[in-house]
Amino acid sequence: MKPVYLVDRALASVLGLNLDQAMSGLRSSAAPTTTAYRLVGHGEVPYRRIPDAGHSSGWDARARALITQVAADAGAAQARHGALFIATSCQDGNAAERTQGDVDFHALSRRIGDWLDWLGPVFLISSACTSSMLALLSATEWLRAGTVAQALVLGVELDNRLTLPGFAALQLLSPSRSKPFAPQRDGLVLGEAVAALRLSTQQTAPWQLWGGANVVDGTEPTSASAKSVTQMCQRALAASGITATDVDLIKVQAAGSPGNDACEAEGLRAAFPRMPALVSLKPLIGHCLGACGAAEIALLLECLEQGYWPRYPDATDPALGVQLAAQAPPQLRRVLAATLGFGGSHAAVVLERSPP
Amino acid sequence: MTVYRIRARCVSQPATADWREQLASRLGSRPRRLGRWAELGLYGALECVAADAESTLSQQAALLLSSQHGPAAAMRSARAQAHEDLLLPVTFLQTQPSQLLATLSAQLRWCGDARFITNPDPLALLSLALAIAAGHADGLLLGWVNELGSESSLWLRLQPVADPGGAWRQTSDFGTLLQGASHVRQGQSQVEVIMNP
Repeated sequence: MKPVYLVDRALASVLGLNLDQAMSGLRSSAAPTTTAYRLVGHGEVPYRRIPDAGHSSGWDARARALITQVAADAGAAQARHGALFIATSCQDGNAAERTQGDVDFHALSRRIGDWLDWLGPVFLISSACTSSMLALLSATEWLRAGTVAQALVLGVELDNRLTLPGFAALQLLSPSRSKPFAPQRDGLVLGEAVAALRLSTQQTAPWQLWGGANVVDGTEPTSASAKSVTQMCQRALAASGITATDVDLIKVQAAGSPGNDACEAEGLRAAFPRMPALVSLKPLIGHCLGACGAAEIALLLECLEQGYWPRYPDATDPALGVQLAAQAPPQLRRVLAATLGFGGSHAAVVLERSPP
Repeated sequence: MTVYRIRARCVSQPATADWREQLASRLGSRPRRLGRWAELGLYGALECVAADAESTLSQQAALLLSSQHGPAAAMRSARAQAHEDLLLPVTFLQTQPSQLLATLSAQLRWCGDARFITNPDPLALLSLALAIAAGHADGLLLGWVNELGSESSLWLRLQPVADPGGAWRQTSDFGTLLQGASHVRQGQSQVEVIMNP
């Protein structure tokens, strides 16, 4: 199997406009700003918005500034003859400025490609919360097919006029804060992110992408199913040629949803008789929907390389039978990163760090 | 390189005037809460699978869906409702392309790798689809669904097979996939097909 290396990464999130700002903020223990949104009929909900850096107003102008900066931070110029995989679930944000216009995925792809002076093919993936994990899987498969040697996965989730009201209508939002796997978990805290992961089959790097899996289970179109979480893990392990005991760390979805967190925990317990360490990043940056897979991988790898580990103020719900780890595992080689989303979608990839 | 036989296709372009009646007939009742785009996609996918004398999709096959505008009518409704601060949960769900993937999973009694991916060039998308299909023993069900303008629902069922040894030729015309081609593969730089004799 042709090795695919994760050669660079970048992230703009509530923690800052780049990973240096994010890590600096995390180490200072200063709580990142939470924006309160008032939604008619739902009261105030917290939202983890990317800090304002004097970007021009308007969705397009702000998106362009953030996307070009994050892509540049990830060395996108070195990959622009390769393939670009845009992952988003906020496609309406762009159309919002064209009030009579319909969503046009092709036009959005072309526009972002133009912003980045992209020369290769541009794909757009939209499958709600699993979008950027599927972009990562698709990019890996495309690179392994040998058509191109470089790819950029770009997760984009920015404020728009439908997402918060839509999640509020579905009664999925927490009124307070993200409490993954906690007994008092009461919903999601959504957030913004623009994340970039640059992949290569030519340039080597410490982290490699192994296999992955995507399981869509239509029996539960708006939520996760424990059986499919188990299948997702087992298929991702099989595609990577490893077994459950080879995984040292799982980046969980754990968005703080009462039902989905329980399904995820049950599914993980079935797939991993000896549970690896578990880490959740949503308390740090919120649930960034279409960008969350790329954003959380970028942040996780930065945390691991810099020796930072998230702290969780809430105890884990004993009924779930899983626990978030209090510290990084001492020997860390393989990570399974998982996301779950609308449409009964369950997606995961396996990353491996080369021995030093 | 893996060779795929085009086992079945649905070329509903433009969709027939009575496609919704045909879908209701196939399902035994009108689908509820899907939205028109998802119904159109479901119609084409079921036609394609039925054309192959199947009623389900192999669990070892993948499913890839594409569209230029996605669920456009649902998006218009959602915007109008959001403008009035009255966005309904069902309308918001209908704006998500992934809801069609879930519907297809349920209707095809299939649980597997389904993705919504777009590219303006259908042959570029096909190239990616073939790369994705390489990880699935039973190939791929691949569809393009558009409800704006002239409604269309185009589906191909691709099955990996041994190379039949025909005359491979490069194609830059997506239409050959919809009509005339019997086999397809990814060549060095372009999609290649064998045409039906």
